[in-house]
Order: sequence, then C-alpha cells, then structure tokens
Amino acid sequence: MDFITENLITILILLPAFGALAVLGHSIFWNEVKHLKWITLGITFVIFLVSLLLLGDSTLSANGYYFEKNVVWIEAINTNYHVGVDGLSLWLVILTTFIMPIAVLSTWDAVEKRHTAFYVFLLLLQSAMIGVFVSLDLLVFYLFFEASLVPMFFLIGIWGGSNRIYAAVKFFIFTALGSLLMLVAIISLYYMHFQQVGFGTFDYITLLNSLQSGKLIYGAGSTGTLLFLAFALAFSIKVPVFPFHTWLPDAHTEAPTAGSVILAAVLLKMGTYGLMRFNFTLFPEASRELAWIFIILAIIGIIYGALVAMVQPDIKRLVAYSSIAHMGFVILGMFSFTELGMQGALYTMLAHGVTTGALFLLVGFIYDRRHTRLISEYGGLSSIMPIYATFFVITTMASIGLPFLNGFVGEFLIMIGMWSATILSGSWNKIAAMLAGTGVIFAAVYLLWMVQRVFFGKLTNEKNRNLRDLNAREIGLMVPLLFLMVFMGVYPKPILDASKNSVVAIQKIVNGETKGGTVSTLKVKEK
Amino acid sequence: MTENNLLSLIIFAPLFGAFANWVYGGWFKQRNELVSGAIACTAVGISTVVAFMIAFGIGTPHQGALFADKPVLDQIWTWITVGDFRADFALGMDRLSGIYACFVTFVALFIHIFATGYMHGDKGFYRFFAYLNLFMFAMLTLVLADNYLLMFVGWEGVGLCSYLLIGYYINKDEPRRAAKKAFVMNRIGDWGVLMGMFLIFTMTGSISFFDKTVDGQQVQSVFTWVSQNIMTAEPFTWGIIFAGGLTSAALLLFIGATGKSAQIPLLTWLPDAMAGPTPVSALIHAATMVTAGVYLVVRSNIIFQYAPTAMWIVAIIGAATAIFAATIGLAQNDIKKVLAYSTVSQLGYMFLACGVGAFVIAIFHVMTHAFFKALLFLGSGSVIHGMHHEQDMRKMGNLKKYMPITWITMITGWLAIAGIPIWAGFFSKDEILYYTFSGKNLPNGWIAGDWNWILWAVGVVTAVFTAVYMTRMMVMTFWGNERFHDELPEEDHHDHAGDDDDHDHHEIPPDFKPHESPLTMTVPLIVLAFFSTTIGLIGVPYAMSSLVGLGDVNKFYDTLKPAIYKVKKEDKGESKEVKNFYFKKKAEEGKEAHDPDAIFTERVLAALSVLLALFGIGLGWMTFSKNPLKRMPKLFEQKWYLDEIYNKGIVDPITSISRNGLWKGFDVGFIDGTVNGIGNFVSELGSFVRKLQVGFVRSYAAFILFGALLVIGYFIYYAFRLLS
Repeated sequence: MDFITENLITILILLPAFGALAVLGHSIFWNEVKHLKWITLGITFVIFLVSLLLLGDSTLSANGYYFEKNVVWIEAINTNYHVGVDGLSLWLVILTTFIMPIAVLSTWDAVEKRHTAFYVFLLLLQSAMIGVFVSLDLLVFYLFFEASLVPMFFLIGIWGGSNRIYAAVKFFIFTALGSLLMLVAIISLYYMHFQQVGFGTFDYITLLNSLQSGKLIYGAGSTGTLLFLAFALAFSIKVPVFPFHTWLPDAHTEAPTAGSVILAAVLLKMGTYGLMRFNFTLFPEASRELAWIFIILAIIGIIYGALVAMVQPDIKRLVAYSSIAHMGFVILGMFSFTELGMQGALYTMLAHGVTTGALFLLVGFIYDRRHTRLISEYGGLSSIMPIYATFFVITTMASIGLPFLNGFVGEFLIMIGMWSATILSGSWNKIAAMLAGTGVIFAAVYLLWMVQRVFFGKLTNEKNRNLRDLNAREIGLMVPLLFLMVFMGVYPKPILDASKNSVVAIQKIVNGETKGGTVSTLKVKEK
Repeated sequence: MTENNLLSLIIFAPLFGAFANWVYGGWFKQRNELVSGAIACTAVGISTVVAFMIAFGIGTPHQGALFADKPVLDQIWTWITVGDFRADFALGMDRLSGIYACFVTFVALFIHIFATGYMHGDKGFYRFFAYLNLFMFAMLTLVLADNYLLMFVGWEGVGLCSYLLIGYYINKDEPRRAAKKAFVMNRIGDWGVLMGMFLIFTMTGSISFFDKTVDGQQVQSVFTWVSQNIMTAEPFTWGIIFAGGLTSAALLLFIGATGKSAQIPLLTWLPDAMAGPTPVSALIHAATMVTAGVYLVVRSNIIFQYAPTAMWIVAIIGAATAIFAATIGLAQNDIKKVLAYSTVSQLGYMFLACGVGAFVIAIFHVMTHAFFKALLFLGSGSVIHGMHHEQDMRKMGNLKKYMPITWITMITGWLAIAGIPIWAGFFSKDEILYYTFSGKNLPNGWIAGDWNWILWAVGVVTAVFTAVYMTRMMVMTFWGNERFHDELPEEDHHDHAGDDDDHDHHEIPPDFKPHESPLTMTVPLIVLAFFSTTIGLIGVPYAMSSLVGLGDVNKFYDTLKPAIYKVKKEDKGESKEVKNFYFKKKAEEGKEAHDPDAIFTERVLAALSVLLALFGIGLGWMTFSKNPLKRMPKLFEQKWYLDEIYNKGIVDPITSISRNGLWKGFDVGFIDGTVNGIGNFVSELGSFVRKLQVGFVRSYAAFILFGALLVIGYFIYYAFRLLS
C-alpha cells in the first residue's frame, strides 16, 4: 500500500499505457475482438478506483502539492519528471478517470473497424490527459499536452463521421499550431532563467519561486506579454476561446461518441486549466493587463455560441456550440481574479464535463439508432422513448443552469465573481456580468427549442415509430452522470472546499499580493 | 432566534409526494387514480396542516409566526460558501411568508382535490400529480426561503414546473410552444433577479432575509444592513436608475417581477399558458406562482421604500398593465383567456399598490385574488369539463340550467372580482384605489407630485372594465340561448389554441347535453366560493367597520404591518401637507390615527367604486344579454398585436442574424474561409514548389509550417536579442 500511495500519480499515468499494451498483446495472441472492450472497460474502471485514492490522506509537500514526485529525467537540459496534484488538478484528474469507463461503454457496439487500435488510442489518450493535469515541469507538461493530440486525431480521423478527415486535420492544425508557440515560450523561459539566475530550468515550481522572489524578471519591455500570449494562444485554441472556436463544431460533430465525450469533458479543460495554472502564476502582470481582452472574448463567446447554437439543424453541432458558450463562462470567471469567479470557473469546468459529456452520450444513443443527427428528422420522441426523453430533459435542465443541478452553482459563482471584480475599471465589471447573464436566457432558448422539436408534439417521422428505448447499458451509463448532476447542484461544498486553498493561492499570485514570497509560503493548507 | 425543524416538512412533504407518485406511476407502472390522487393530496395536506400550525402557533413550543416579532427559522444545510459569499439552504417563516404559506397551501389543497376529478381518465394522471406536487415544493421553497438565492431556486423551480405543466399535453403543438415561451420570458425576468441579487450582495455583503447565527457565525440580513446604513431615500434623477444603488437594485428585482407576474412588457406568456390543464391555470397561473413577483417586491420593501424612483415606475407599470390587460379581456372568446387577462390585470393592481407604498394591501389583494380567481378558474374548468372540452364561450350559453352549482359558485367569484361589497375583492381592491388616491403611504421623494390621481383614475376605469368583461363572460356562459351546435365564424377556425384536451378537437354530438361536475370538483368550488365571499372580512378597514359600529377590526393589517419597514418621514414635513391636501393630521407614532377627513374620503371613494362596479355590471348585462356574440374591437381581440410585434421586432431578427450573419456569415464564411483561403494559397504555393521537389504538400500542413516557422523565427530572433 505504501508503494501505491508513494507512486500514486505515476501509477495513474502508467496504468492506461500498460492497458494499451495489454489490449495490443491480446489482439496479437488471441485476437478475440469481443474481449477487447471488456479489457479496456476493466482497466479504466480500475484506474477510476485507484484515482479515488487521491482523495485519501497524504502529506503536503514543501511545494504545496500532494503525492509529489520529483525525479531527474534528462540531466543535460535539467528537466525533471515532476508531478503532483493540488486542489486545482485533483478534481480534473478524477473527472478524467471517471469519464473514461463511460466513454468506453458509450461506443460498446458502435466500433465497426480496427477495434484494437480504437481501444489502444483511448487508453493512450487517458495517459496523456492525466499527465497534463499532474505535470509540474513545463517540458513534461508540453509533451503530455501534445501527446493528447495524436490519439484524438486518429479517433476522429478513423472512426468519425462522413467528413472526418477534414475535421481531424482541422482539429490537429488548430491545436498544434497554438502549442508550437507555447514550446517556444517554454524554451524562452528556460533561457531567461539560465541568463538571470544562472541555470536553466523547465521546473514550474523553480520558475515560480524565482519569479516570486524577484530573481527572474521579465523587464519593462513586452517580453512578459509576449510569453503570456504564446502560452495563452495554445490554451485559448484548446478551450476554445472565440474566435479560435471553429475547429470545435467540426471535431465534435464528426468524432465518434466516445471521442466527443472525452473532448467535451476533458480535453477542453486542458486549455482552461493551463491558463489558470501557468498563465496566471507565471505572468501575473500580463494576465492582469490583458484580462479585458479575455473578458470581452469570453462574453462574445457566451452570446455568440448561444446564438449560433440556436440555429443549428444538427443536434450534435448545437451541443458543440453550447460548449463554446459554457467555456466562455469559465474564461470569464477565471479572469475576474476573484475567489468567487475562479472557484466558479473550476466548478463549471467539472459541471460542464459531466453535463455536456452526458449530452453527447445522449446524442450518441439516438445516432446509433437512426444514424442521423438532424433535428428535423425527429419529433414526438417522448412517446416512443420515455426514459430517453426524461434523461435528456434533466440533462438539458442542468445545462441550462437550473438551480439544484450542477450547472447553476458554477455559473452563478462566475457571474457574482465578475460582478464584484475590480479587474476592469468602474462599472465595466458589472456590465460584463450583466452581458454574461444574458447567456443564461439564450441557453434556455436554444436547448428548449431543440428539446421541443425533438421530443414533443406528434410523431412526425414514421421511421421513428419503432425506436427502442434505452437499454440497460445505456441507462447504467446515464445514472452516475445524472446522480452527479443533482449531487453537485445540491451539495457543492466538498468539491469547493477541496479546491479552495489552491485557487486562493493562484488568485493571490495573479493579483500580485504575494510578491517576495516563495511557493512554499503559498502552499495549500489542507485538501 | 426561534427554530422549528417542522418548517422543512412543509416543503419536503410535496417533494416526497412527487417522488412517490413518480415511483408509483413511472417505475411500477401503476395507474390507480385513487392512489396517485391520494398521495398528492395527502402531501399537500401535510404541508397545509404544518403551515397553519407554525403560522398560528398551534401545538408548537413557540409563538405563532404570524404574531411573533422574530421569524421561525430552520437551517437545513449550508449550500454554497465561497469567500464572503454564503447561501444556506434554510427556511424562515415570518409574518409575510406565514400568510403566504397558509393561503398557498390551503388553496392548493382544494385545487389538488378538484384536479383528481378534472383529470379523471387522463393517461398521465400520476405524472400530472407528480408535477403538481413538485410545483408545490418549489413554490413553498420560494415563499419560505431565508435568502435571495434559495428564493431564486424556488423562483426557477416554479418556472420549470410551469413549463412542464403548460406543456403537459405534449403531443400538441400549442401547449409546447406556450410552455417554451413561458420559460424563456420568465428567464428574461430571472436575469433581473440574479443581477439584483448580485448588486444587493456587493452592496450589503449578504443575501439573507433574516438576522441569524449559523455555525457560530453571525449573519446580518440585507434589510438590517439597509436600515442601518441608508439614511435618506435616493432622490429622483434618470441617472439614479443606472447608478448601482438601491434604485438599481429595486428595478432589477422588479424586472424579475414583471417576468414572473406577467407585467408589461413580459406579459404575453401568461395568456398562452392557458394551454395547460385548467387546475394548473388555477393553481399556478392565478393563485400562487404569478404572485411571486409581488412577494419579491414586498419582501424587499425596505429597498423599494428608499428608492422612490423605482416605486414610481412600479406604480406606473402596474396601472398600465391593469388597464391594458382589461381591454384585451373585454374581447376574448375563450373562457380561460378572459380569466388569464383578468389575472394579468389584477396583478397590475397589486403592483400599483406596491408602487404607492401600500404593501400590506398588495398582499391582501394577492390573498383575496388567490381565492376568487382560483374559484373562477376551477369554475371555468367545471364548465369546460361539462362542455366536453369546449372552451369557446360562443358555443356555450344557458349553462345555469345544466350546471347549477358551478353557476352559483361562479356568481360569487364574479361579484368578488367586480368589487361588490362584502365579497372579498371589494375590500382589497378598494383599499388599493384609496391608497393610490390619498397618497397616504407614498415614500419620501415620490416624484409624481399631485398626479397620483391619474393612477387612481386608471385604476377606477380598469375596475369598470373588469365588471364589464366579467359580466360578459358570465352572460355568455350561463345565460342566453344554448349555442352548443352553432358554427363559429369561418375566420376563427384556427383559433383552438387553448383547447384543453389530450385528444383532438372533436365535434359535439347532436344529442349533447352539458352535465354538472362530480363531487370532487363541486366541493372545492363550494369551499372556495365560501372563502371568496368571506375572506375579505379579515381585512375590513376602519372606515368600513366603523359604519356598522365595529371598532378597529382589521386583523390582516395588524398582522402584516410589522413586516413592512417604516421609513422615517422626517424630510417630508411641509410638502406632505401641500401634496395631500385632504389630510390635516398626520398619523401618530405607533397607533394609526383615524382621521375623520380621511375616513370620509375613503367612504366616498368606496361608494363611488361600488356605483361604478354596478354600472359596469349593468352595462355588461345590457349589452351582452341581448347580443352575447357582439363583436368587440379588433385591436382588443388581437391583443394589441403584441405577439406579432415581438415576433417581427425581436425574435425574427435575432434568429436571422444568428443564422445568416453569425453562423453562415462569420463562422463558416469568414473564419473558416480565411483559414481555408490561406490553406489554398499555401497549397497553390505548394503545387508550385512541388515542381521543384517531389512530394505532396497538404494545404494545412504547409500552412502550419509556414506560420509556425514565421513565428518561431521571430521568437528565436527575440531570444537572441535577449541573450546578446
């Protein structure tokens, strides 16, 4: 047991990779296609259980992280395998491990070709995603960040819909372009540290300490701003922040259900996580200076995403655009630089992962049956598939942000955080919150309109008459998600409490309230 | 601080009822109507009993909430705490919420019973009652919440249940459209509540309604903060509306109230909401939910009293809505639509009362209205039931012969709403008009000067209209010739909008006879008729009671008065004498003085009201008993074309801009176009390069290479500059 807690994070990263090997091995030696999904499901479920150990007791490291591990990796360039979790990454890791078994189950019967490769890519993707959230070394972070691209590229490109190649390439180009700039910025940081402090480093903690203690300074010029932008571009494309969003509807629409679920639930959060973790702490001045741009873009995203979602003829595309609106809320909350807003942003990341993941699952269920996602093909489904309709309506309500469901808590905190912020001058903070609030109205419009056209009224299309309602597997998939929607809406305390100290620490750094300290003085007190 | 954990039973009993019905009908697929109905009615029955126990202090260790100085509280759990922000899931019953909880549960109980008869034979019987109980949970949460955020939970919850119940007949187009419209329009209002709450929180650091101690932490209420920190009312300027002070907060909250209570400009959803089953219209869209806006305003009365500009706007919107809806009510042919517009109009009265500072009277009218409007709606439900789901009054007539109980009970409702003394509506409506005319409770800094008599005049004209359209409705339905088999004018055939039926509109058989409704429906009618007649007597003003030799018997006023904050009137002084010339003497501290002049004025006004109500009834009778199908002005019949204006002016442009401008224009056209364009350009370049080098260059790959090289080059250049 000690060994496990000692190396918990490493185990979490490696388990999926070993799982991928197991799948590969199985297909080489036995090649029984039916077994593959069971193996993958088993592995992802075990990983989920293991990840729950993160919630257990652990000592806080001097740097303010739990389960921290720092081993030399490549001595020549002074890069370490440095991992750890804090309140910010904890829930994102658990979200990842939670969503994976669901993703595997979501395409239980829908994979029609290259089964081995499908499950190998899923598992590799999981390794990469966990790696992104736990890395405390910029180079390691970058490698995981890039590594997550490749499996997703293939998941869309091979198992996607009719226009999959276009979508996959678009996804790859958009995101890879951004992260290349980030690499340049990471290398610049290394050199600047080398130049000013005497040794180069990719280590996040070391860089942060040097910055906080004033050993590393960007100078009066635009260096800090440029580096900030290089990081921010990579993350903004990932989120995606308007106007970098056009890859998202295509990628979501073409991806297989498992791909869409993971994309929405986890991959998008890598962007917002990166902004909060790295941009805010490494470039606090630039973050504050440029916050207004992100606030404007976030508000545009909220309203624009909602308006465009409203007129989509394709359900999946509609959900994709709604993601843009929700992620706009996350960005807005983060850049309010208030505890309320940032906690709300983190909470919305989790809530959006659950809710939008569930929406993509639901769209997947109906696509499996009818092989179309056009709203106009449906109508009156509630009389044919009552369980499906019930689940769909509840999930929709969570997405709309109805109180006591998970969407509300985060969005409420974000708006009240923005309202009470001081980052913009004068009343603009309040105006920003008011504009963002209109997104709440539009969300009701586009989602209810869709629900109304798909589920209510008379059965208009005879092809839908004999649709089966959800089967046991599908109900089993939805139940944990629905439970979380209600639980997170009614009792958000444990999640918010666990992330509080980390978020406050970041908030203090970005507001410049900690100058002259070191990270160890900012560490989280308790989980 | 008084605690009573029974409070939570009031809200959780209906929630459990909803759950039980869902399990029973949805999970076990049981369809026994007796069981479903019993579950739902018992749940509400428990709420009713507990609400009355706590409100009146029957069998509780503490004084009844209606008579105590301190509210009865119940902390259930801590919902959200982040930074300084704290929102508890906690309930509180004070005098205001006590009154509300009592009449809501009481009226709801009888509507539930009525519904067991009305919904008999419906396929979704259990589902209907599950929703109805869920609504009760949300409504009682709204009323009993001890802070703005939990109130907002109930506020959104009733919106959701309203959505589910309006769209209850999911197979038909009209209900689902109406349901969505209701939800969205309510959401526009909700935006106002949210923003108002944010403003209140940033101003006062609290969102709580009551001072309390939780987890050893002192929580100060919003209202305590205002009473301690605000000294004078905000003077009138147009800028004060946007200044982010109490006026802004009050108006933001009022935006929410206009949505929930269907006031101008967010009123068009309520008449459409009549597409839901009739008990729903009675419960949600007449008696309880739609008055939530009034509750919000009265709950926040201290904020409004320091914001005279906001009160002025509330009064104007209220009066305008009252007369606007009344004109439309004159011309509707659907019996439920008449009642719907009448509800909007009566809600306008309530806001007029709030606007002129008569908060107690506003709640009084809410309560009397809950009884007589629930009665009228249930009566109309009984009529519709007896008429085989025909709602068009042009196809009714002479129903008094077939449905005597419904007829007589509805007469009491008619007299109540028309304002005939001793019926409930008379006292409450008349008080509103009196307070509007006299300006007795106007806040400091009220800006309309002597002109509040215009508001009064509007109210009086509305009262006449009310009497006319209600008489028209009664005459068309219960008197005159039988028109069951008449053909409607051709142009109106599409207008089956509100047909309250699960199956398609069907022809009435030639041997059709309307029938009286069963006991489950007539008993609630009789009970509500009794209260519509008598409930007003608990709030008889001194001017009336002294006429018959009684002293101060205004129990309602005495009960609720302490819940209304009393602003010090020191800066009014001289101007009050001038403004309100009919008052020689000001109210003394503590006990309200009974000024003979004021009493005289009140009596004269009341007499005038009664005369006008009789005039309205007479006019209606003369006009419609001869010609029940008399065409009303087209403008009224078409609801002033408000829906058309909203659709053409707001909905269509937004949809069109979103589709053609944002999506197809900007997203697909501009962004993707640009990216693809660059890609194509590079691809062209690539095919040129290909001549030199063997190999296929994908457009995107080339583009990324090109772009990345450019940027990396710049950064390397920059890094070198740093190093050098």
